Amino acid sequence: MNNAELWQAALGEIELSISKANFSTWFKNTTILSNENGKVVIGVPNGFAKEWLENKYNTYIFRALRNFQDDIKEISCIIYSNEQAPLNEIKKMDSAAPVLEQQLVQEIQQGGNFAQRPIQPMMHTGQTNAPYENNINARYTFENFIIGENNELARAACFAVSQNLGKIYNPLFIYGGVGLGKTHLLQSIGNEVLANDPSRRIKYITSERFANELIDSIRNQTVNDFKSAYQAIDLLIIDDVQFLAGKEKTQNEFFHIFNALYQINKQIVISSDRPPKAIATLEDRLRSRFEGGMIADIGKPDIETRIAILKTKSAENNFYLDEEAIRFIAENVKNNIRELEGALNRIIAACEFNKKLPTLKFVQQALAEIISSGKKKGVQAQNVIEAISQYFNISTKELIEKGRKKEIAYARHIAMYLMRSELSASYPSIGTQFGGRDHTTALHAYEKINREMETDEKVREDVAVLRERIYAV
Amino acid sequence: MKLTCTQENFKKAIYSTERVVGKQITLPILENILLETDNGMLKISATNLEIGVFLKIGAKIEEEGKITVPARLLSNFVNNIPNVGTVSLSVVDQTLHIESGSSKAQIKGLQAQDFPIIPEMEGEFLFSLPAQEMKEVIPRLAVCVSLDSTRPELTGLNFVLDKLEVRLAATDSFRLAEAVVTLIKDNSQAYDLFIEKTNSVIVPLNTISELFRVINPETQDIKIGIEESQIFFQIDNVRIVSRLINGKYPPYQQIIPQEFTTKVFLPKDEVLRAVKIAGIFTHSKAGEVKFTVNSQAKEIYVQSKAEEVGENKTILSAQIEGPDQEALFNPRYMVDGLQAISTSHLVLLMNSGASPAVLRMVQGEKKEEMLNYTYIIMPIKN
Repeated sequence: MNNAELWQAALGEIELSISKANFSTWFKNTTILSNENGKVVIGVPNGFAKEWLENKYNTYIFRALRNFQDDIKEISCIIYSNEQAPLNEIKKMDSAAPVLEQQLVQEIQQGGNFAQRPIQPMMHTGQTNAPYENNINARYTFENFIIGENNELARAACFAVSQNLGKIYNPLFIYGGVGLGKTHLLQSIGNEVLANDPSRRIKYITSERFANELIDSIRNQTVNDFKSAYQAIDLLIIDDVQFLAGKEKTQNEFFHIFNALYQINKQIVISSDRPPKAIATLEDRLRSRFEGGMIADIGKPDIETRIAILKTKSAENNFYLDEEAIRFIAENVKNNIRELEGALNRIIAACEFNKKLPTLKFVQQALAEIISSGKKKGVQAQNVIEAISQYFNISTKELIEKGRKKEIAYARHIAMYLMRSELSASYPSIGTQFGGRDHTTALHAYEKINREMETDEKVREDVAVLRERIYAV
Repeated sequence: MKLTCTQENFKKAIYSTERVVGKQITLPILENILLETDNGMLKISATNLEIGVFLKIGAKIEEEGKITVPARLLSNFVNNIPNVGTVSLSVVDQTLHIESGSSKAQIKGLQAQDFPIIPEMEGEFLFSLPAQEMKEVIPRLAVCVSLDSTRPELTGLNFVLDKLEVRLAATDSFRLAEAVVTLIKDNSQAYDLFIEKTNSVIVPLNTISELFRVINPETQDIKIGIEESQIFFQIDNVRIVSRLINGKYPPYQQIIPQEFTTKVFLPKDEVLRAVKIAGIFTHSKAGEVKFTVNSQAKEIYVQSKAEEVGENKTILSAQIEGPDQEALFNPRYMVDGLQAISTSHLVLLMNSGASPAVLRMVQGEKKEEMLNYTYIIMPIKN
């Protein structure tokens, strides 16, 4: 057993004897630096952890280590960071550090052009210096991704993939609604892989940009270059793949690239707002390939996750919000994380502008416009009917008239369901909207869909997509 | 625990410690501060695991003990009670009872055993810096500290320790500010030995602003010690402990030009006003302001132009040595540099429109250049 394995095993044991919060606070970024003659030296990230491990947890650590290696007699901690050398090794600034100096000079010079061009984070331009862009944004990492019940599986799958490119889940397909963190997860994979091995060739691209690049290459007659550039990639991340729907030529090219990468065990990660089988006009051969790997979904965050997100975000902004206010925001902004962040930003701005403290009352006022008792303004019965007729490709006339064809009846039921659940319309008024039907018809429809949603995945998907479309007006 | 202390001391102590608290969500006890009796004094500590602060105040102690209570709650209470002279504290069943004049409060606390241990210094303080000078210098440098967490080494203040002085520098890689402060050696031998090994440390910005906050107008000096990736400050009775940022600060001294062809002596207030006006006529962030030095007319022109807004130009008369120059700057960065100038006149040093320009203070009739503060700003290239 080497030091890393020993420590992993010991940590596993310690984790069971102390609380999760304590464990993650005190044992994060710790490692065994040396293990000789029964003396173990543990590297810890700061002085607080050192004091704590030496004074409070030494018996736990001691016991855990002894389980695996019984000649351990002494444990000590030193402050150590695994990214850089410990402080006492930092020698005098040697004037022969031309690389760094050049970087600074360069950066300062580029700084003048700050406005015109974004700066590339050094960690990525540093070593590889490859002539292609990987489009990975260093802001998104697994560390700052907040895990909740809704995204556990997806996060675990993504993390596993980042540790074992192309070996376990290939392709990995992540789906979930707008603003729930798909892009964050996808980018995290890229960052994690780069952090472990900066020489890996990674490409993150949205399916729309992929299509545009392909069209450009067709116009410039450089399709072959385009293909070979993609086929040399270790990890290909395609975001929002649903936009490929209906673009046949692009799908075709994508299919070939996909196959080429898949055959040589290169990792492919794909995201979409719905599962592969729910993407209309996606070619069957692509669909079956997407379904061949691992599929994981991201659901809506539960209230605890939303609270955790708000706390993290407000801490990032150095902004203090009390429990009550956080709970209020989390209870009222439910649907997506981006909205949640928006609400928080709005409060921060309002506080700065009015120079007031974010009390519960102030927060309620600031958010009144967004939430207005939970319903978005401006959505009416007409919007629902239009959205339904577009989605199912049925004319509004058919939807309202007496026809009882199965597809039409299903669409009508969903429309009634949404009017009830989203607009809180009364059953009689729903009946009237649909050509003077009886209120019991509407009642039946609502209950039927409600029931089916519990058992039928497809119904759930349809309702979720439609609900988003209604509010997207 | 049972004790009485003066309200003024208690309030000050809470004020000095409370702010580091409460940006952690994993461990609830970090939102608390620790009150404990310690050798006839009341010791108050707070930490966010990055910075730790503690101080001791005099108190009449009847019974030893300790407790932790939520920091915000305690400070809100203490700040709002009328001043009657003394505060008595006592602990009953994990609850802190506070009594001051007609106000009484009971605050539910948590076990003091779970409170993090704030690292203590093992050796002695190495050196001191004059507190009032630091109070003046810190804001000048703090504006330049980078907030970009992808380059952690730039998110702090660099201390380069020399035999007689400390060079403090901050940069966000667009501009750089450097100040030189004379140090007082507390333990000359140990200090000389120390700088043989380590002469550059990076202190996180948060620590610096905490330090800035606890400096009083009466504070004489700041004692500093460095041990094991940690830095310790002693300011009057307040002790601050902080981690140091790991990493190597870029050797910035090499980019400060040694020679300048053009020197422009300017009255500070007038240039500042001109640049601020120019800033109005630019896009909010992408702006640029043009400095034109006309040595024959002994004038400089500060101008800006934005397509959809309009344009402006300010003419300032100046004392100029050297040839004509022209350079574009980001007005925001220029304003930051000018605002840090505390003398009535300053000198703008330039080589060309593509190399770093420098702002320094000047003093006296002869307009002598002061080397204790240097602000370097990179022009925008056309």
